[in-house]
Order: sequence, then C-alpha cells, then structure tokens
Amino acid sequence: MTFRPLYFTRRAMDAMIRGPYVTLIGTATIFVAVFATGLFAAALGGAERLLAAWAGEVRISIYLAPGADLAAARAAAAAAAPGREVRAVTSAEALRDLAVELGDEARVLEGVGPGALSDEVQVAAPGISLAEARALAARLRSVPGAADVDYGEALLGPLERFVRRARTTSAVLFAALALATAVLVSNTLRLAVFARRDEIEIMKLVGATDAFVAAPFLIEGLAQGLLGGGLAAGGLLAAYAAVSPRLHAAGLGRLLTVRDALPPSLLLALVAGGALVGLLGSALSVARTLRRISTS
Amino acid sequence: MIQLFHVSKEYPGDGPALDDVSLNVEKGEFVFLTGPSGAGKSTLLKLVFCDEAPTSGQLLLFGKNVAKLPARAVPYLRRNIGVVFQDFKLLPRRTVAENVALPLEVQALPPKEIRRRVRALLRSVGLEHRGDKLPPSLSGGEQQRVAVVRALAAAPALLLADEPTGNLDPERTLEVMELLASASARGTTVVVATHDRSILERYKRRVLVLEHGRLVSDGASIRRAARGTP
Repeated sequence: MTFRPLYFTRRAMDAMIRGPYVTLIGTATIFVAVFATGLFAAALGGAERLLAAWAGEVRISIYLAPGADLAAARAAAAAAAPGREVRAVTSAEALRDLAVELGDEARVLEGVGPGALSDEVQVAAPGISLAEARALAARLRSVPGAADVDYGEALLGPLERFVRRARTTSAVLFAALALATAVLVSNTLRLAVFARRDEIEIMKLVGATDAFVAAPFLIEGLAQGLLGGGLAAGGLLAAYAAVSPRLHAAGLGRLLTVRDALPPSLLLALVAGGALVGLLGSALSVARTLRRISTS
Repeated sequence: MIQLFHVSKEYPGDGPALDDVSLNVEKGEFVFLTGPSGAGKSTLLKLVFCDEAPTSGQLLLFGKNVAKLPARAVPYLRRNIGVVFQDFKLLPRRTVAENVALPLEVQALPPKEIRRRVRALLRSVGLEHRGDKLPPSLSGGEQQRVAVVRALAAAPALLLADEPTGNLDPERTLEVMELLASASARGTTVVVATHDRSILERYKRRVLVLEHGRLVSDGASIRRAARGTP
C-alpha cells in the first residue's frame, strides 16, 4: 500500500464529520477514562506532596534533666545524628518559641517562669521515615542528661500508616481503573468499527488491502484519543480552578499550586495516554472486524 | 479467464452448496449463471472473487490457482474483478462520486485522474448531475447504475454480477443489462447470475445452469436452460 497520510487523514476526518455520534461517544469515553485517571493521579500526587511537606517539618526533641550540661548534650546529639541540623534550646528560648507557636493564645503562659520548661536539644529530621525516626531517637536517648526523647510518633505513626495504605489502595484502584478504562474504550471503539462493517466489507470488495482499510480507523482513533485526552486535561485544569479557592482557604494553596497538583508532565502524559488508548483501541477493533470479515 | 476443476463447496451442517463443478469461461465471454434459489449461483461467484475458498477441487483465475495465492495477494487479484450485487452495496455516507472513485483510490491513482474518470463514468450512465448526492437519495435503478460503474471504474478484466436486476423494474433492468453488455463489448469478461428468464431470453448468451449445487447444463440454448435439463 502506498502511504498517503493526507488521503487517509481526509478520509478519517470525513468519517468523523459524517458520523458525529459515533465520534462523540468514542471521544466522550476516552475523555471520561482519562479524566478519571488524571483526577486520581492528581489526588494521589497531591496527597503525597502534602505528606512529604508535613514530614519535612519533623524534628526530634531531647528534653534534658534539670542541671544537665546543654552544650555537652548538643555535642553528643550532633555526634549521634551526623549531618543533621542540631540546635541547643535553653529553657527561656523554649518558652519564647512556645509563645510564638501559641500566637494569640500565648497569654496562657503569663506567670510561667523561665525555668518551667527544661533545656532541650532539637534535631531536624526532614523527610525521615517512622523507622528511621525510631532508630535515631533510640540513639539520642544515650545523650548525657537526656530525660525524654520525643520524635512525634503520635503524628508520624498514623501518617505513615495512611501513606502506606493509600499507596496500596492506589495501586489496586489504579489497576482496576486501567482495566475498566481499557475494556470501556475498547468496547466503545469496537461498536464504532462494527457499525461500519459494511463499509469495510465494500472496501475489501474493491481490492483494498487491510492496511488501506485500517489506516483511516487508526487516524480516527488517534484523533478521538487526542481530543478526549486534551479535553480531559482541560477539564482537570478547570476542576483545579474550581477547587482552588477552597485549597487557599484551607491553607494548602501554597503547597498545592496548579503546577504541583497538575504538573505539565502529567497533563502531557494524559493526552498521550488518551491518544495511545484511542489508537490501540481502534487497531484492536479494526483488526478483529477484518478477521471476522475474512472468515465469514 | 475462469477455470473450475471438480470444485465443491460445503458449509458445516449443510449439504454441498457446489458439487463437483467443472467449467471454463474464456476471456471476453458473456455468461449467464442461472438456476433456482439455493442452486449455488452466489456461492460460485463468491469463490470466483475469492470471498470464500473451495472445499475441494481447483479454481484458476487469470491462470492462477487461487488456493495457492497468499492472503495478501487477494486484494490485488480483486482489483481485476468488478462485482455488482442485487442490494447495490454502495457506501451510504459517501456521495455517488466518492463511491465510484473508491476502486480508483484503492489503486492510488492521482486525484485529478480520479476526478476525470469519475466524471466520465457518471456521464456514461447519465448520472453526472447526481455525483454529489448520497446513494439513499437515488432511485433503485440509479443506485444500481452507480454500482455498475463503480465495478467498471478500474477497468477490470472480469465483471461479476449477482442478481443485478433483482430489485429493479423491467425498464431499469434493461438499462443495467445494457451497461453490462456494453462492458462485454469493450472486452470485459462478464458473468451474470440471474434467475430472470426474460433476461436469458432477450440476451442470447452462453447459459450455465446450476441445480442443487451441480452444473446441469452448459450451453447456449435458452430453452434447455429454461427447462433446466442437460
């Protein structure tokens, strides 16, 4: 077969214009599938980003017993946690920090003396996992004068369990979604191709090769995929714009900008994925129809 | 042009659609294939345009044994065969001109040449003013004329017609038969399957009679054909 891209593209466009409902259904199916996948990927990516941001704020505190040597404790902590930022905090500084953290509620500290809080050594541990935090805390317990070590287990534990479950659930949901998408798109395109079975039969009758018959269908599938994928990408951007005020109201606007939630690489992957699904779905459908015609 | 040697065709669960048929159609001949419904006329034509394969026997087309042709060669073989059906088999969503152009597009002729040929073909059947219409808007006779010129568009060496006048009134029947006869006069080998006796009586051509899948008569005598006796 002579390769005639313009001819086949024209044929594909003609068919799409002349059969708008079939085109619409194919495009809409791909749109829904790509939109759902994109929404899921964006939600998962956003959740992971938030968790990473929260985990980045983790710090381990070593509370010292009264009369302990703060400088010696800091040096010991630095030795036990090489490469991490270690800060010695006096009782007075701890009280000031607490007042800053409490903000408007700082008045509850009125009357609290500078010795009310113990001296403290803080070890910054951004992005640390629960297991790593636990191991580091165990090492820091041997710091001279250490009375207690707090590594935020109450926060990190549930957080990490949530991330682990979210990843497992995501993997299962993603697989189910991918399978459902493939079946849905394939069936829709199969119906679209089957509806034009007579056309394929007649083309074969006048001496068209399988490649000649298939080429416009492949271009149609590709075009529907690009259109469906493009609309899905646009729909996701519109959905982000719609929820953006709520994200800002919840204080997440800075952490989840549009580039964070829907990075260009994700949008491109979705459009390309839509195109691939359209192309493969059409290829499988037209191949099956051609096989049926040749064996009927 | 067409040679069958002891060709049989059976479908699973059915009796033989064709039973030990041997015949020879020469280049340029005009042949009628007749017999009652279910005699095997359409099956024979399907074998000739490689839509189906014989269960046994040999079929030679243009001197080539079709059983030995690879599947990828069949489309190229079909480009030498025009086929006309009782139900026209036109593409309803393409215009008349596009339908006629289809075999020429398949053969990758230049667009300008395709347009020139399509105009000439439609003019030859008085349909040049209907080129931009969709087939369903045409009468049955007009649709069959479009189907005939589409079959002839690529100037095939062989034209097969399966009950081409089955859906037409007598006047339209004559129009279509004249088109087939003129194709034959230009050197195209024509095989027409029909059970319309008036056609057989009007056009005194070779008549092959099939009954229950067997070739019971091969001759020019219309009387014998009409009686269906060898």
